Amino acid sequence: MEKLYRKLVNYLYVMPAVIWLILLLAAPLGVIIYYSFLTPDLVTGGVINEFTFDNYEATLARGMYGLIFLKTLGLATATTVICLLLGYPLAYWIVKYAGRWKTLTVFMVITPSFTTYLIRLYAIRTIFQSQGIINSVLLNLGLISSPLQILYTPGAVMAGLVYSWMPLMILPLYAALDGLDPSVLEAAEDLGASGLQKLRTVILPLIKGGIVAGIIFTFVPSLGAWLVPLMLGGAKVMMAGNLVQLHFLAAGNIPMGSAVAVVLTAMIVLILYIAIKLGGKEALERIA
Amino acid sequence: MRSNRILMVAAIVVYVLLWSPVVVLVVLSFSNNRLGVKWEGFTLRWYIEAFSSSAVISALRTSLIIAVVTVVVSTVIGTLAAYGLYKYKLRGKEFLRTSILLPMVLPYVVMAGSLLIFFVKVTHIPLGYFTIILGHVVFCFPAVVFVVLARMARIDWTLEEASADLGADTATTWRKVMLPLLAPGILAAAALIFPWSFNDFNFSYFTGGVGTQTLPVYVFGLLRYGDTAIINAVASLFAVLPIIILLLMGFLSRQKTVVY
Repeated sequence: MEKLYRKLVNYLYVMPAVIWLILLLAAPLGVIIYYSFLTPDLVTGGVINEFTFDNYEATLARGMYGLIFLKTLGLATATTVICLLLGYPLAYWIVKYAGRWKTLTVFMVITPSFTTYLIRLYAIRTIFQSQGIINSVLLNLGLISSPLQILYTPGAVMAGLVYSWMPLMILPLYAALDGLDPSVLEAAEDLGASGLQKLRTVILPLIKGGIVAGIIFTFVPSLGAWLVPLMLGGAKVMMAGNLVQLHFLAAGNIPMGSAVAVVLTAMIVLILYIAIKLGGKEALERIA
Repeated sequence: MRSNRILMVAAIVVYVLLWSPVVVLVVLSFSNNRLGVKWEGFTLRWYIEAFSSSAVISALRTSLIIAVVTVVVSTVIGTLAAYGLYKYKLRGKEFLRTSILLPMVLPYVVMAGSLLIFFVKVTHIPLGYFTIILGHVVFCFPAVVFVVLARMARIDWTLEEASADLGADTATTWRKVMLPLLAPGILAAAALIFPWSFNDFNFSYFTGGVGTQTLPVYVFGLLRYGDTAIINAVASLFAVLPIIILLLMGFLSRQKTVVY
């Protein structure tokens, strides 16, 4: 009896966390899964207790929503690739050339993200506006005769996504590169490897975990983005997250919003699973 | 040598990209332009207008209260969970660890949206401070668990046994031995999650209802009604303050490492 009691006491410490996760993460997710199979009452904005697959059919099979999901995947992929292409040189430069400024240079990557996300997006909006800096400079240089429409284009949304998640790509890349043994690189150079050969055959295999972590950190939040497209894309460029927000907050079609949310979440969980399988345990440990 | 140059140019381009929005914002906050989008001479007008507004002050207070409560609740829950996970053989430990990671990778719009439905349609909890804090703790406490776990791997656990051997009860051991040992980890976790909660827009917007406006939600409202010049001033302060605090912290911690 006392042994059982002692065993139960061991579980006491994790109990608050477990209860919090069950009540405020699992239960709400369960509720939207349940709602996603109900019929929306379009007159009252409520729901009718009738089981249906309609919401999923509308999310996946009917043109408009399917297209938004494809666009979301496309934007997230492009964002991840650009973050990797821009982030890698910076991470490499810090490790190799920053020397005693290493801490400061890493710090400079992170610090902008401590400003409220919304406010930084608003600043980007100011820059992109028709009277904003980019347009003023181009107009003054005589390169264009009338302001370019930058806001509310897919390009603006992608720029916002790249800006938002870039530090999360750079940090794991930096950590992986910093952990490399410099003598391995020197050996490659001594044996006559060109820059590209060195990158492909020596560096990339060794920092695979860091790359996978960086990709997860940029791809996953880009997929779930809703504030970036809302601020920079308006009604013109919508992502899956905007459909959730639209149905939950504005339109009041909860079953439809729930179905979109469930599909989006399932997609992300699947991608995480594949990424962790591909990147092995190292990526998982890096996240943890 | 040439590749060195190219790398440096690439690095500088990325730094410029990362910093330009913040810099532009601060510069424009001093511009005498009603829309706050271009330079038309220096003024402090927007700062004065912003800080004579009681709405700004009240939104700031709301954000601070929520962040402080979130940090306290999250560090308690997170530290206890880390202790349980570190010390005991528990059934389903791996599953629990993975579940604790979930709030850090699931899309915020889904978590905040599902919480809104859960509060409004199922539990009928009125939206406000309470519901915002419940949500903030969900995405903040996992970070505490992992930061404190990392600290636990580096402390001397015989001190805990010694305390128990010398007759201290569990509460005393926690107060006199465990908390001081874990303090660096707990403080680091608190410093990490405070800005998360303070800056959060997702949960505050979805589960805040009409009455409770945190600072980001208030700024979002200003954007809708186009009072943009004041926003530049408010935004600049909140863009620059965390950076100054961080730089100071970095500077101080560097001083400290020199001393030791």
